[in-house]
Amino acid sequence: MLHHAARALVFGLALALPAAATAAGKTHAVRIEGMKFEPERLEAAVGDTITWTNRDVVPHTVTGAAGRALESGTIAPGGKWTYRVRTKGEIAYVCRFHPMMKGVLVAK
Amino acid sequence: MRLQSASIALASALACGAAWAQGGPTDPQIAGIVVAANQIDVDAGKLARSRSKNKEVQGFAKQMITDHTAVNKQAAALVKKLKVKPEESDTSKSLKSGARDNLANLKKLKGAQFDHAYVDHEVAYHQAVLDAIDKTLIPNAKNAELKDLLTKVRPAIAAHLDHAKHIQSSLGKS
Repeated sequence: MLHHAARALVFGLALALPAAATAAGKTHAVRIEGMKFEPERLEAAVGDTITWTNRDVVPHTVTGAAGRALESGTIAPGGKWTYRVRTKGEIAYVCRFHPMMKGVLVAK
Repeated sequence: MRLQSASIALASALACGAAWAQGGPTDPQIAGIVVAANQIDVDAGKLARSRSKNKEVQGFAKQMITDHTAVNKQAAALVKKLKVKPEESDTSKSLKSGARDNLANLKKLKGAQFDHAYVDHEVAYHQAVLDAIDKTLIPNAKNAELKDLLTKVRPAIAAHLDHAKHIQSSLGKS
């Protein structure tokens, strides 16, 4: 039992290390307000973190175009969602509930 | 024709300033109008979810249920915080009776006829609500937080109107 716990701990540390190594990345904020993502286009580097904050009265999502791993799930009014940029490239995203709301994340 | 007259009645119920004896609705009356207006669209959305076979209409109806439920949740939290009791007014009463007529009319329809009638009404309804927000509700709201909630609701209603108009034009082509 203890052995298992120790192994889990070591494994956990090993997983945490790469994240710690990139923890110095910048933080970015995207406001979701007035049925828009603000800014609509955001440039960030791999390792940066981005927080989307929903200031609207209706729920929204941050959902990457088909095949992209960007999916916040429901962000309730007043709620937020944070994502760490993992790979380079441009990801176009929408709100799944309001597909006319569009944004682009450019990871460099 | 019937639907058109119902929409006109609705628009005048929401936008008609003459309905207010003194200046305009009070904050408790505005709260009553907000709650009624949201609930009406949730109910219409639920009917559309059960009746429509059209994917676009289904998606729109789902969005109406989600968004108007969310707005009412926040309206309920705000009136509780402000200790305001939503009050009935001629406007909220005529909104509710208009909604009953609309649902009764929609329940008689099926298929494409239902879709057209539902979406046409949603266009007229959201236009009327938008006008009411701009001309009656925001200008008359006394409490800053109530005014702020109405201001925040406006872009969602405008987006719903655009979405409904978009579906209206694509249904027109089919």
